[in-house]
Amino acid sequence: NVDKNKLVEYFRAQIREDPDVASAVAAIRSLLEFLKRDQSETILGLRENMTKAIQRLEETDSSVAVSSGGELFLRFISLTSLEHPDLSQCKNVMIERGELFLKKISLSRGKVGKLCHTFIKDGAKILTHSSSRVVLKVLENAAADNKRFTVYVTESQPDSAGKLMAQKLHNLNIPVTVVLDAAVGYIMEKVDLVIVGAEGVVESGGVINKIGTYQMAVCSKAHNKPFYVVAESFKFVRLYPLNQQDVPDRFKYKADILKTVKDLNQEHPMIDYTPPSLITLLFTDLGVLTPSAVSDELIKLYL
Amino acid sequence: MPGADKETELSERIEAFLSELKRCGSGAGSLRGSAETARETTSLLRRITAQARWSNAGDLMEIIRKEGRRMTAGQPSETTVGNMVRRVLKIIREEYARSRGSTEEADQQESLHKLLTSGGSSEDNFRQHFTHLKANVIEAINELLTELEGTTDNISMQALEHIHSNEVIMTIGRSRTVEAFLKDAARKRKFHVIVAECAPFCQGHEMATSLSKEDIETTVIPDAAIFAVMSRVNKVIIGTQTVLANGGLRAVNGTHTLALAAKHHSTPLIVCAPMFKLSPQRIQIFLRSFCFLLPGEILSKVNAHCPVFDYVPPELITLFISNIGGNAPSYIYRLMSELYHPEDHEL
Repeated sequence: NVDKNKLVEYFRAQIREDPDVASAVAAIRSLLEFLKRDQSETILGLRENMTKAIQRLEETDSSVAVSSGGELFLRFISLTSLEHPDLSQCKNVMIERGELFLKKISLSRGKVGKLCHTFIKDGAKILTHSSSRVVLKVLENAAADNKRFTVYVTESQPDSAGKLMAQKLHNLNIPVTVVLDAAVGYIMEKVDLVIVGAEGVVESGGVINKIGTYQMAVCSKAHNKPFYVVAESFKFVRLYPLNQQDVPDRFKYKADILKTVKDLNQEHPMIDYTPPSLITLLFTDLGVLTPSAVSDELIKLYL
Repeated sequence: MPGADKETELSERIEAFLSELKRCGSGAGSLRGSAETARETTSLLRRITAQARWSNAGDLMEIIRKEGRRMTAGQPSETTVGNMVRRVLKIIREEYARSRGSTEEADQQESLHKLLTSGGSSEDNFRQHFTHLKANVIEAINELLTELEGTTDNISMQALEHIHSNEVIMTIGRSRTVEAFLKDAARKRKFHVIVAECAPFCQGHEMATSLSKEDIETTVIPDAAIFAVMSRVNKVIIGTQTVLANGGLRAVNGTHTLALAAKHHSTPLIVCAPMFKLSPQRIQIFLRSFCFLLPGEILSKVNAHCPVFDYVPPELITLFISNIGGNAPSYIYRLMSELYHPEDHEL
């Protein structure tokens, strides 16, 4: 138990030191540290400890990204342990590959940024939702490419994350306007394209993102504007929600609310699900994918 | 010296091909039809592989990439040239991997799985020398050429499954693939064809003449009548200039109108396109414009725009029929990953 508390501390420290790091990357880094310090004698014991550690992390931060990062790490352990049945050898290989994996996924955001900014044309008006570090990177790359464009950001209540995004864009000298969440329909006729980030990309090719994304997607479909999603590949998660109610409760609400509140019906969900039919293209570090290509990628990994 | 002769001969051929391509743009060249262009490009690439000086796969890829860039610059709207270059580059990569005995040849794309299991750098700079690489690559290119020769036949063979008796089929302009497709079905079925003439070059007229020679009942309509006639049509079958990576099309102007009319009437839209037309480009880079002969009075006072191609989004297309079978537009990305390597998307 002491170990698990140290794990959570490490995780929180990661996020404090580098607020720009993706939560899944921080989670995987913490899990790798945990792996290094783990004392189990067998591979089965190692897996059990890891599963418990991942659960503990999910209790701290209930976002989809942490869950997908954790599942990916578990899969990574299974795959490596299949190749090297001997524990000590296996552990060394795991640690080596883990470091390599971490290095690669830290570069994912850069790759996505490079891919996507070519889709932003000069004079474009972009609409985005809430605060996404990947979208910020994309816009940063486009601005560095000397493209002129303006950005509309939704306020994104209840935490006003949109205002944070507007501040960051302002620091990059990009003209930005904050609009009300309710003004998405009003502003849609003015914009040329919509770019949003994602907390999780599900098997069907749909995305799970801050509440209000689904609304924006429906509006953009009605106005025939392209709706682009930018996400790194470690956000791919093995969920297949058929509608909004299908998304598990543990993702919808913040971790502390899940623990304290009795009747979840009175709480506001923090995320919603956008089905693949509303998404034009997904930009990931694995390339530019159509929503139907996402399930292919997941199958390649998990089967 | 024989070596120098070969090189000059090779560069002469490349120059001749380039000038053909450039002239083709104004319709004066002899390379008509994308199938011809694809075949010529592939033969030229085979010649380059056989005659140019290279010692390892990396050098060969550089040479082919350089020539490929020159060829695509000569006629950017003819995407089959770039596609064939990319196919040959993929062939070289595969043969190289096979010579190395690598088991990863099937998994050259980035994937989550690869991220998790690769131990150490998988950077391949193709610098190893293999004696049989040249022969293997040339053999593979020969296979590609055989495949190219059989494409129209493979597509026409599927005609009977899609065309039924007494159907009314609409098409636009002139596509050799669709012509062969319809003629093949006409041998066993009786159906009507409506051809939209596709102004300003009115290639639909040639298509109609050619079809009626095979005893197919043909009607020619002006482009403006497409929507009006659509309610009587059972299927729309069209060809295209390029198939884009998202499943969309770059086709002759008027195709988008046709596709929208078909969507409105819930008429299936079938695209007959051979695999060599599949291009990794996604967005419209440019729309070539022609300014043909207009009465002098208009030209001096008015701007005339006549785009040659249309973009058709993937949502309007029902089925792609290619030489490897029928596919949905959402599946095109998969076919793309099998034909080209992601690093070759940008030549």
